[in-house]
Amino acid sequence: MTDPAVPAWHAVALAADIEPGTSAGTRLHDRELVVWRDSAGASHVWEDRCPHRGMRLSFGFVRGDHIACLYHGWAYDTAGQCRAIPAHPDLAVPETIRVPTYASAEASGLIFVWSEMGATPMSPPAARPLTALRSLFVEATPERVAALLAGRFAPGPDGSFAGCLAGADVVLFLQPFTAERTGLHVTIDGAGDGALVSRGAEALRHAIEAAAPSRFASLEFAA
Amino acid sequence: MRERIELVFLGVFEPASFAEFMRHRARRLSVDAETRRLDAGRVEVTVEGESALVDMFEVACSLGPLDCLVTDVARRAA
Repeated sequence: MTDPAVPAWHAVALAADIEPGTSAGTRLHDRELVVWRDSAGASHVWEDRCPHRGMRLSFGFVRGDHIACLYHGWAYDTAGQCRAIPAHPDLAVPETIRVPTYASAEASGLIFVWSEMGATPMSPPAARPLTALRSLFVEATPERVAALLAGRFAPGPDGSFAGCLAGADVVLFLQPFTAERTGLHVTIDGAGDGALVSRGAEALRHAIEAAAPSRFASLEFAA
Repeated sequence: MRERIELVFLGVFEPASFAEFMRHRARRLSVDAETRRLDAGRVEVTVEGESALVDMFEVACSLGPLDCLVTDVARRAA
């Protein structure tokens, strides 16, 4: 799941964190992505770069079912196709001006993206009755985070890790942010005190960052 | 409205890099760009397409890739 050469679903945001009409930037395997939600409620994940001048679309603004670049207002529909260029209102915008897109889906309270640009995944991400709690970012490589979590949590077939944290059953989803940084999306499976789990997740992050560099290291924390 | 023009870029170029940059921008903007001359100090290209898109091509190439520096641009009808 942490190998960028292997296409997979990855959680990149909590669904509740991207409200209708907003956008946010994130990364997957060091590729810059924009996650945005149109006014009708559908979420989208694209390359975070306007084809015009390369400005991040995550700095842009959402109007209805379009996202427009902050620089010159080039507006893109939900398929990534440029539909309007304000400086040339009469221009029939060619089909070649479009933003590369990724397949995305919402499940388990998270927004997932298929890591291969433009590809159609064979099946959607597994949907489970989880409550998405928060996202953290760990200053450690995705491989190391996965290895350390595997010593304390049960790895799932979808790349998640299940176990107990602060008295609650949790499922953790890894986001290979960059080669040196890892996103950790925390969900609760069943009942649990969100505040306690949140503090437990912070302790987990500190434990991962403090773990000895040995490949035999294990997590030591009281959460 | 379509137009056909000739662009002359003067500056300091990595020819292969500038050629790839022009190909990429021409494809994105749906204009036809035919390179007439391409060397370390001068690039000449004939461009045909919608006027607005031809203008966008000119501006994009006047910025150019990171390893090239355009110091002057001239255009004339082709």
